[in-house]
Formats: sequence, C-alpha cells, structure tokens
Amino acid sequence: MAIRANPKLITELEIYGAQDVSKCYHCGNCSATCPFSKEPYIFPRRSMRSLQMGLEAKLESDLEPWLCYYCGECSVECPRDAEPGETMMSLRRWLTARYDFTGISRLFYLSWKAELLAVIIVALIAGAGFLLYGFSQGNITQYNGPDAFLPASSIHIFDWTLAAVLLALLLTNCARMWWFTVGRDTKVHVPLSAYVRKIYLLPTHFFTQMRYARCEQKRPWAIHLVLMLSYVTMLILIMFFLAPMWSGPAVKWSVHVFGLAATAGLLVTTIIFLRKRLKKSEVQYQHSHETDWMFLVLLIVVAATGLVQFTLHRLGLGTAANINYVIHMMAVVPMLLLEVPFSKWSHMAYRPLAMYFADLKAEEMVSKAREAVGAPQAA
Amino acid sequence: MEDLKIGVFICNCGTNIAKVVDCDAIVDSVERLPYVTVARTYKYMCSDPGQDMIQADIEEHGLDRVVVAACSPRMHEPTFRKTLQKAGLNPYFLEMANIREQCSWVHDDPVAATEKAAALTAAAVLRVAHHEALERRSVDMCPNTLIMGGGIAGMSAALDLADAGNRVYLAERSDHLGGNVARADLTAPYLDSARDMLTERVTRVVEHPNIDVLLESQVRKVDGFVGNFQTTIRGKADDGAPTDSVYDVGSIIVCTGYKEFDASRITHYGYGKLPNVVTSFELEKMLRAGRVTTKEGRVPQYVAIIHCVGSRNLEFHAYCSRVCCMTALKYAHEVKSAVPGAYVSDIYIDMHAFGKGMEDFYRRSSEIKTLFLMYEKNDYPVIRKADATDDCDMLIEVNETLSGETIEMPADLVVLMVGMEAREDSEEVAHLVNISRDKDGWFIESHPKLDPVATTTDGVYIAGACQAPKDIPDSVAQARAAAARILARTARGKIEIDAVFAEVDEEKCSGCRMCNELCPYVAIEFDPEKRRSHVISALCKACGACVAACPSGAITARHFTDKQIFSEIEGVLA
Repeated sequence: MAIRANPKLITELEIYGAQDVSKCYHCGNCSATCPFSKEPYIFPRRSMRSLQMGLEAKLESDLEPWLCYYCGECSVECPRDAEPGETMMSLRRWLTARYDFTGISRLFYLSWKAELLAVIIVALIAGAGFLLYGFSQGNITQYNGPDAFLPASSIHIFDWTLAAVLLALLLTNCARMWWFTVGRDTKVHVPLSAYVRKIYLLPTHFFTQMRYARCEQKRPWAIHLVLMLSYVTMLILIMFFLAPMWSGPAVKWSVHVFGLAATAGLLVTTIIFLRKRLKKSEVQYQHSHETDWMFLVLLIVVAATGLVQFTLHRLGLGTAANINYVIHMMAVVPMLLLEVPFSKWSHMAYRPLAMYFADLKAEEMVSKAREAVGAPQAA
Repeated sequence: MEDLKIGVFICNCGTNIAKVVDCDAIVDSVERLPYVTVARTYKYMCSDPGQDMIQADIEEHGLDRVVVAACSPRMHEPTFRKTLQKAGLNPYFLEMANIREQCSWVHDDPVAATEKAAALTAAAVLRVAHHEALERRSVDMCPNTLIMGGGIAGMSAALDLADAGNRVYLAERSDHLGGNVARADLTAPYLDSARDMLTERVTRVVEHPNIDVLLESQVRKVDGFVGNFQTTIRGKADDGAPTDSVYDVGSIIVCTGYKEFDASRITHYGYGKLPNVVTSFELEKMLRAGRVTTKEGRVPQYVAIIHCVGSRNLEFHAYCSRVCCMTALKYAHEVKSAVPGAYVSDIYIDMHAFGKGMEDFYRRSSEIKTLFLMYEKNDYPVIRKADATDDCDMLIEVNETLSGETIEMPADLVVLMVGMEAREDSEEVAHLVNISRDKDGWFIESHPKLDPVATTTDGVYIAGACQAPKDIPDSVAQARAAAARILARTARGKIEIDAVFAEVDEEKCSGCRMCNELCPYVAIEFDPEKRRSHVISALCKACGACVAACPSGAITARHFTDKQIFSEIEGVLA
C-alpha cells in the first residue's frame, strides 16, 4: 500500500525550525557520524527523508528524534548544510505538538506571539490571584506566622492542585505518544511482561541521561544533567518540603543546602545555555526557536526570584519578600502550566519514555528476526 | 636480393616483454636467418637511445631492411618509420613483429612464448626482404566545407570556418536555423536565455559573406574523396520547385542532431491519455510563452518531473541522454519562478550533475525546496488519475529507494524528461557520407578519446548530438574542434595520402564489378568507357577485401603483396 506523500509538510516544519532539510541529498554521513545511530534506529537521515516527503504518519510514529541529544556532530559533517541536528530538534517540537491533544502546543510552536500572550495572561492571572488571596486573609508585611500574606499551607495545596492538573495533561500526552509510537504499530507487538521487565530503564535514563554521556563531548551532557537534577531537586523540595523551606528567618541547613545548591545549579546552567545561544558558537545553539528563549527566560526568572525570596526572608523584609513571592509565582505558574505539558519542558517525560519504548521495540524486532531465521533467542 | 642487409632489433619493453620472452634467445635464432646482418636487444627500443642505436646500425652496417620486434605496430610503427627515414632509408622498409600484445602479455609459459616470439620475428624478417620502396602522395585540398544541419553545432562550425575565409555551405532540412536549441527557453546551469544566444549566432551566420545558408535543403549525393567532394544538394528554387545543385567541397561536417524519444511508448506514464502529462519540450513551450498551466488552464500546485524517459532502461535505450538531469533542475527553477507557490518534485534514477557549474546548480535546486525522489532503473513510476476528493489531478506511485517506501506523489502537471534518440534519417545520412553508426544509431567517431570529431571516412567529420547525446557546450566544442581540424588541412592546401592502398591491374581486370559492391569505403570506381574498375587511392584504407575477392587476381594491395604475405607465413612455419 502506497503512502501518500505530503510535500506541504516541510513548509509547516519550517516554522518548527527545520529550515534546511530540503538540502539533504542522502549521502548518509549524518547517520554514519552519530554515536547513537544503531540498528534498528538509523538516524537522522531516515527521519530527514520522511520529512522531505511529508510522510506524516511515519513521522508521528517515529521515536528516533527523541533518541538524539543534539550533540551537533551530524550538522558539522553534513556536506550540504542541511542541519540534520536542527531537523531532529524541530521534529521533537513537532512531535510534542502532535502528542498534545489540546492543540495548545501546536499553537505555541507556530506562533511565538501566542505563547508570549499566554504566558503574560497566565502570569497576570496568577499575580492577581495571589494578591487578592493575600489581601483577603493576611498582612502584606507578614511572611510567616498566623497572619502570613501567603501561608505555606495554602501554597502547598495550590502546588499539589497544579501538579495534579499538569500530571493529568502530561500523562494523557504520554499515553498518546505511546499509542502513536508503539500501541498502534501493527508490525511490532510488545508483550506486557517486557514493559514490566524493562521499567527500570525509565528512571535510569531520566536520572543519568547516560545516552547523552556517550556523545563525543561530555560537557553538554554534564551541564544538561546538572540543570535537570537541579530542577528535580527543587521540585521535590517544593512538593514535599515546602513547610521547612518556608521556616525562618534562621537558615535550616538540612533543607536549604539542597535548595541553594539546586538554585545555583539552575542559575549557572541557564546562564551557560543563554550565553551559548546568544554567541551561537556551537552548532547545536546556532538555531534558537522562540520557545527555547521562553524556556530559558522563565527558568532564570524563577531561579533568580527564588534566590531573592530566600534572601529577603532571611533579612526579615516581609513586605518585599511577599511582593517578590508574587512575582516569583507569576513566573512559576506559566512555566509549569504552559511549558511542562505544552512546550520544551515536556521532553523531560518524552525522552526517557522514547528510550524505554525504543528499547522494547528493538528487543521485539530482534527476537522476531531471530525467529524468522530460526536462530536461538538471546537469553 | 643477394646484397640485402637486414637488422633485427628486439625490444625488452622494460620487463613487459623480457619477463616472459627470452629476447637473447631470439637474437640467436634470427641470426641464422638469411640476410640478417645485425640482431640486438635493448631495454626500450622506442626511446631516443634505442632509436639512435637503430640509426647508427643502419649507417654503420649499411642496413637496407629493418625488423623491430616490440609492441603492436599501431603503437610504434610511425615512430620506427621515422627512424628509418632519418637514417636515409625508405620508411616502408620496416616490418614490426608484435611480441608484446600478441605474445608476452597473453602467455605465461616462457619457453613456448619465446618460441612464438622467435617465429613472429622470423616471419617479419622473411617478409621485410620483399618490401618495396613506397612514396606518399599528396592531392590538392578544396577549402570549401559542407555542413549538414543548421543547429547550434552546425552554426558554430560554420562561423569558425567562414571567419577564417573559407566558403561554407550550411544545409538545413527545415525552414529555419537553430535546431533543437531553438525549442528551449533558458539553459542550465546559469539560466541564460537560449533565444538570446541563438539570435546572435543566427544573425551572424545569415549575414556572413562566406556562409551560404541553404534552408529546406537536403544533401542527396556525395561523390569524391577528402579534399575533393562533389555534393548534390536538393533545395527549393524561387518558384518552390525542387532543384538540385552541385557544390564542390573539401570537407563535410555532419551536425544532424537528434530527435526526442516518443513518450507514449512508455505506457506507465499515460502520455497522450492523461492531458496533464507533458514532455519536456511541451513545458519549454509553456515557459517560453510565460504561462505554466494545466490543460484546463489552472495554475498547477504540484508539478512532478520524471527523469530518464526512454533513457537508461532495458526496454528502450540503455544509454544516458546526458542533458535531461540538468534540464530537469532548470525546470525546477523555472516552474518555481513561474508559479511561486508550486511544489516541485523531481523523480530521478541517479542525478548526473557532471560538468562545470552543475553540482552547484543541483545544490541550488535543493535549496529552493525541490523534492527529489529516487527510483530504481526499470522500476517505472506509475501515473494515475487522482480521486475527486484529492487536492491534486494525478497521483504518481514511486518505489522510492532513499526511503524504501512506496509512496504516492500528488501532481497536477507531470513533465516527462524525454531522452535523445538518433534521427530516423541517420541511416540514410550515414550511407550518404559513408560513416558508421553504433547500435543505437549514433554516428561513430574515429577514436573515442583521441579523435572524437573525425570519422573513418577521411574528410567527413561529426559534431553535436548526432554522435551521441550531448549538451550545448559539448556540441559547440565538438563543432569548433571539427572546424579546427578542417582549417589545419586547408591551411596546408594539400592532403597527404598513405602510400598503402590497393591497385587494379587494368590488363587483368574483367570489369565484373564485384569489388565495387564489396568495398566498405566506396573507394572503387567503375569506368564505363574502359569497362575497368579502378581504386580511388585517397579513399582506400587497404583493408584487402577487394584483393581477396577479385576473381581475376587483378587487384594488389601495396605493402600487402602475395609475395610478402606468403614469405611471412613461411617465416612463421620455419
């Protein structure tokens, strides 16, 4: 059965960042250079081809873009300047939009104005909401105690509610990802037992990003890992240790040492990434999509205001701390509500999932191939 | 014969000969043969010291015949003939024994190979004793040239010849100059206008005082030989009636071009049935008119270009038509500029982007977002009408090799890159000027690398796409090369004719005319008055067909007399 080609898709992907894919003439240097490209996942050339021809269904079921960490070797080696690394990056954006059932993600990727507007609106609503709530039940000069402007217990409830919403959205999108890439694949059927047997892959890839470590240059992996671990540390602190964090004005070292370390990690790595994107000295940072900037800007604002928050509170400046806190939340809420399920943040979920699915599928394909030739199954 | 002194020179050719053949053993064996005065071996006989050695021996020993046992005479016979000439001997007193190509290179048993080499050398020794002194002759060269075909090649050759002051008769079958280039809009890879280029050429040709442009004219008959052809050309008189005129020319250039492949022969493409499947020349017409539309007058959204239509397949032509790939890229550019929103797909087998500026052009075609789809030779794409719900007129099914997928490509307009074919009249033309054609009907050059514009008939040259598919620069280069070859000869005013040719002994000739029909070079004429045949020595290639066939034994080939050949056989058997 012939697959219908859609020459228009390439035009859509241009907005996602794939500007040069039509230059590719399929010499295969990129796939040969890539340290991850290995049977049965030979990339990025194959994805480039599907994109050139506009084979949407095939691209939608493609896990390969997620197997790429964008070290940029392929783009350096490309004789046609077709930017295979950037193409994979763009495909990840496109896939993120595809997995998202709400259509919000697609809107953000296609229009930076829409994303900026959404961020501003959510920020304003959050700011207004927290101010109204604060004035309705507390005193702006009080940061802690019974009269607190924004009591930790309320924020805790708010955080958990927000987390539940985010998780629901993200999990739905992850389920769609599974359906596109594994579930509806009629050629490869992954048994349930395999999912269970290999579940360890998810946390392994999530916490170590060990595949990234196999790229020729180790620095990007280290920076990326620090950023991710700092973020996760902060998330754990806020979700489970908000009350001790809130205490003060004395420094509670058992908690704050983690908080300060994570904030430092976030600030340093975000600044490094911003600098790289501005300098464009490395191939993987030469093409920045608007969503990349949004991601970094929100992150640096959140981390910076978090640190200011900590300092003001220790200094006993209640009013300033409360105002700063509202600003902090005006960055946190849009970052979490918009970026996590709909934009760049979502790759924290999609990438380990893709590695996990890819491994399951590969195992199944190999076993099928062995069966076909009558070879003994691997132990 | 008693006083003959023969020198035998055996070449080692480095180790080419010496590693298999024992050259010193040959010296020993030939020294026993009659008249052999001196026999030597040398590392490289064709080198200057080698030739000096031969020359010194001729002078010192008063040699009057020389045998060189070395490589093929095709390689070095001219070299050693010159050596003899320098030493004051008639160059035809040389005989070569080929102990390399026919011995050391093809045998590995040294004993048997040496024996064979000795036999070949002995044959040469016995033969050379009967060689006669021959003289090369020269005839006058008529400076006029007939050019058949007024396309870009014919006009280019005509201008060079005419600028040098020679008369050119430019015979063109149709009613205008320009040939197939006149059907094109722009040219690859620089997107220059074909029309501008042609207009300049045509104007110069028409206005040139030394060029007679003969439109609607056909060459009917060619008599004579190099330097002295009489050509009969049928043209139109002022009242439109056909009229024959005779032109004397010294050289002829055939620039008859090509015709395009008939696309309806490939049924998969539906040419002639699907209205929006057009040939490249039909698209050129649209581009020249400045409007690219479907038959229904709509602006096409999807334009597909299919390469190798009639070329590079088992069914039609195995050869590559050379110009279609770059012409297809040109269409990608032209269509995109005529219809800015159009999606152009280019369905090809291999992208042949050789030649100056072409790889860059290919790259630029990718940059303007042409979608390249690759198919396998002989696995033709199939075009069908799309369904009413589709946003396109046709669908092309392609087994796309770069993805390994079978895909359906939408198309509103399909352009078939029809290949080049030899013209229907190529056989007639070949017969007229006595040149040969290859299996595809293209005219054959004298040597594919070293003599690409001459033919086996002296004085007849070929240029442009009548020799093989060719683009404009190559056609022009070949045409101007042919002009240069002719000018080199007209500058001397005389033509040297090889001393080796067949001769008819009129006393013995019975006038049976068997040889007339047999001669592949049309070199034998029958004199109806004398009722005897005679050989036009300038046309004769000394192939020997007439010599062998003559029932009266009246024909002798100079340098290949019975005596010479029989003694050669004796030498081999001795």
